[in-house]
Amino acid sequence: MEYTIGTIAPIILFPLVAFVINAFCGRKLPRQGDWISCIAIFLSFLWCARIFCDFYYNQYSSDFYIHKVFNWIDLSWGTGPSKASGFKVDMGIFIDNVAAIMLLMVSGVASLIHLFSTFYMKGDPKYGKFFVYLSLFSAAMLGLVLSDNLLSVFIFWEIMGFCSYSLIGFYHEKNAAGDASLKAFMTTRVGDVCFLLGILAIWSIVGNVNFVDIYQALHQGSFTTLSIFNITISAASFAGLMIFLGTIGKSAQFPLQVWLPDAMMGPTPCSALIHAATMVAAGVYLSLRMYPLMEAGDLTTLIAFVGAITAFGAATIALVQTDIKAVLAFSTISQLGYMVMGIGVGAYSASFMHLITHAIFKACLFLSAGSVIHSLHDHHTHGHVQEMPRMGGLKKKLPFTFFAMTCCTLAIAGVPFFSGFVSKDRILGDALYWGSKHGTYHWIVPLLGFSAAFLTAFYMFRMMYLTFYGTPRDQAVYDSCHQEKLSFNRNIPLLILSVFTLGIFFSGSLTGQQKVKLPIVKFEWFETLVQKPQLFKFSSFKKENFGLKDTREIKALIPSVYGHNQTLSEQEAHETHHAHFLGAIISIILAFSGILLAFLMYLRKSLDPSNWVNFFPRWTKALKERYYFDYLYQEILIKKVLLRLNYYLAKFDLDVFDRIAIDGWQNVSRCLYRAHRVFDEYFIDRLAVDGSGKSIRLFNMFLRYAQTGKVQIYFLIFLVVLISYLFKLKI
Amino acid sequence: MFVKFLFIASSLLTIVSALSMLMTKDIMHACIFLLGALMGVAGLFLTLGADFLAATQVMVYIGGVVVLMLFAVMLTGGNELNKRGLNPVPLMGNKFTFALGVFGASMFFIVVYQLLYKIFHYFHLSVVDSYESTVEKIGRLLLTDHILAFEISSVLLLGALVGAAIIARPKRN
Amino acid sequence: MMMGLTSYLLISLFLMICGIIIMIARKNIIAILLGIELILNASALNFVAYSKFVAKNFDGQIFTLFIIVVAAAEAAVGLAITIRHFQISESIHIDDATQLLA
Repeated sequence: MEYTIGTIAPIILFPLVAFVINAFCGRKLPRQGDWISCIAIFLSFLWCARIFCDFYYNQYSSDFYIHKVFNWIDLSWGTGPSKASGFKVDMGIFIDNVAAIMLLMVSGVASLIHLFSTFYMKGDPKYGKFFVYLSLFSAAMLGLVLSDNLLSVFIFWEIMGFCSYSLIGFYHEKNAAGDASLKAFMTTRVGDVCFLLGILAIWSIVGNVNFVDIYQALHQGSFTTLSIFNITISAASFAGLMIFLGTIGKSAQFPLQVWLPDAMMGPTPCSALIHAATMVAAGVYLSLRMYPLMEAGDLTTLIAFVGAITAFGAATIALVQTDIKAVLAFSTISQLGYMVMGIGVGAYSASFMHLITHAIFKACLFLSAGSVIHSLHDHHTHGHVQEMPRMGGLKKKLPFTFFAMTCCTLAIAGVPFFSGFVSKDRILGDALYWGSKHGTYHWIVPLLGFSAAFLTAFYMFRMMYLTFYGTPRDQAVYDSCHQEKLSFNRNIPLLILSVFTLGIFFSGSLTGQQKVKLPIVKFEWFETLVQKPQLFKFSSFKKENFGLKDTREIKALIPSVYGHNQTLSEQEAHETHHAHFLGAIISIILAFSGILLAFLMYLRKSLDPSNWVNFFPRWTKALKERYYFDYLYQEILIKKVLLRLNYYLAKFDLDVFDRIAIDGWQNVSRCLYRAHRVFDEYFIDRLAVDGSGKSIRLFNMFLRYAQTGKVQIYFLIFLVVLISYLFKLKI
Repeated sequence: MFVKFLFIASSLLTIVSALSMLMTKDIMHACIFLLGALMGVAGLFLTLGADFLAATQVMVYIGGVVVLMLFAVMLTGGNELNKRGLNPVPLMGNKFTFALGVFGASMFFIVVYQLLYKIFHYFHLSVVDSYESTVEKIGRLLLTDHILAFEISSVLLLGALVGAAIIARPKRN
Repeated sequence: MMMGLTSYLLISLFLMICGIIIMIARKNIIAILLGIELILNASALNFVAYSKFVAKNFDGQIFTLFIIVVAAAEAAVGLAITIRHFQISESIHIDDATQLLA
């Protein structure tokens, strides 16, 4: 197909136009304009599907990409060959296999969530405003996926941060929601500042921040050292670290994970879209794009540890949560930790696959949780119920929601034949191989990963059992729940998403190990299409113009070779194979044991969870306080350190700086005024202005004596003139 | 010998009279000193061999001009102070006017010195001429070479005579 | 020995200077006229000296005759003016004769 403005720009433009229309005229439209947003995102999905089909059916190899630029800011001067280079920023699109798959996922999930929102937000007084923000967010996320340079990534990143802020604080009448939105924004801001520093560092070395140019620079080895304040550091590690800090902020990794649980104050579709599927995935997407940089900067160990710690820590916190959305939030943080860990251990395609699969099943989980919450009414507060201790036995009343949630919980727990198992198992296998290759303390990473897998299975099924099984704990709440009927905008998104939680869509083999192949599926399309970027292949395509015509030089492309990992040597491939096999077995065992434990504890009630609570009292308290991170940041860091520092800085600014530097100028200007006045009065006024009159009078006084009328004076003057002629003065 | 003596006497007379004219406060004395100076100049003419000129000098200047000055002094009341008494400077000048005079004269002296300083070093020896009468020669020159000046001077004298007579005539009321 | 051109010139210079001083210093009109006479005499002496020592003809003496003539005429007219001025303003101070319209 042709890649022109007409085939690519509508992907962003449809939601953007929907945003503009809804923002300005949303209230006047029928149904407050939700249909505009839904149709726009659906059309975007169709365009994305078209691109995806092009990439999928043509089986482009992983080094094929579409790169089209147009000039955005050009401050260079001169013409011709001696053109001086000023500040030049090009924007453009960059689509390769990764981007094509991500586009499909984002637009698909977003369109389903738009559809669900028409059900969930019905009757809300701010109904139209929700769709305004949803459209803007979709446009920003699609723009981020399409963008070809770090600057436009940053722009869309910030737009998404703003949308997240607006949506978390959607019910801003509640103080907690406003605080949570501000917390989210500020925490991601910390990451964003570091991201910007990384962009600047890269800009100073490479010259611009195109992905292709960065890869070429990495290949040529231009990333040597940066010297900042006379400290020389390795440029690649500095830039990579800064960009990874951006990922930490946006994807809620340790230590900046504090905002995601509080972000659940927003409406559930917003949580589904932003905080499960897309925005938090943007951080991982950025790390995936910048993976060569982090490899060159030797940051992979750090990334793996951060991811593993996040995965394990969040999983432990999720054990004690009672709010259904809080469980899902911590599970999101944990799975994001898996993705980041996958990047760190080198499982590029597995990490990306986990991103896609997690997006799908987590969105479905959130939407079904939303369906559950929506049906339960609390008569006292006239709101909805989110606490699991008040739920129970909803299996009969909400069958379709139950079905969707079951599929997704099986996926996230890592049960074979589901997508979550395929991706998570590959990450764990690679982590095992990585740990074994590097030895000693690197074993912590796979250890934490497997523990988190066990815990994930446990708490997800705990959630299922508490919500749907057993006898209802709060009869009033149970009675307020209406029997679920199959409705279009409530159940269709859930069912479609739950279909895609099956594993066969992502991998040809059931276990992901090419051991058991299904006869109908031909090839391992995901693993082959998505591979680690080979830097030396990135100079093969020139940059084309993003215009109305397709200006590509379409060469004959090498189709990807399937079932064959192209980057590893024979022995390494053999060892990886062993590690993957071992990891698969371990993760299956852990998943089933987790499910069993939850079954025993919550369904059969043969084990009592309070035993564990009494056994680890302090740990349980720490878990309930979310490992005191909130306390650390708010009480200690902000109140004690930053506010105090702020106070002293303000005092310095007012007393010292303002007094001396600003008011001090007053004295200077007063002195200047006085000097100037003296000068003006004495020199200008008296000397020059009056003086010219006085000098004429003075001259006149002398000249007067020559006109006395006295003859003798005339004679004297005659003699003086005579002598002046002698001395050649010509008077 | 006689010439030398005459020269010294005449120059002494001239110089002393001129100095005295300078320093006296009395207008009558000034006129008399002028007379002396003119006499001295006549003597100097004699030493230069201009006998006719010396005689003319004595007759015209001393006999005419000085007497005329004396008459004018007597007619105008000479040394008396100004009748209105408004002018602060005395009639024969005070120190300030003399200072101005010396200044002006020094100006003149500088000019002359610049022009003539070489000549002052160039010392002609006296020419021991035979002093002969110049009357005939001057008379002849007057009426042949310089006849125009002669005639014009006679017209000038006529004019001066008539003019002086008319100017000094009192007005008829 | 001393009777050279230089001595006559010096004498005439002296007479001239005296005449200039008298002309500037005195305030009596008649005294000023006396100074004028001295000046004229000095120039006459100069003429005769030059005619005797340098030109060795009689042109200087003839010119001196004319100097004498002119001096006499000028003295007469000057004194007439002085007497007329005295008749008008009763003063022979030269500073009283500074206005054109008396």
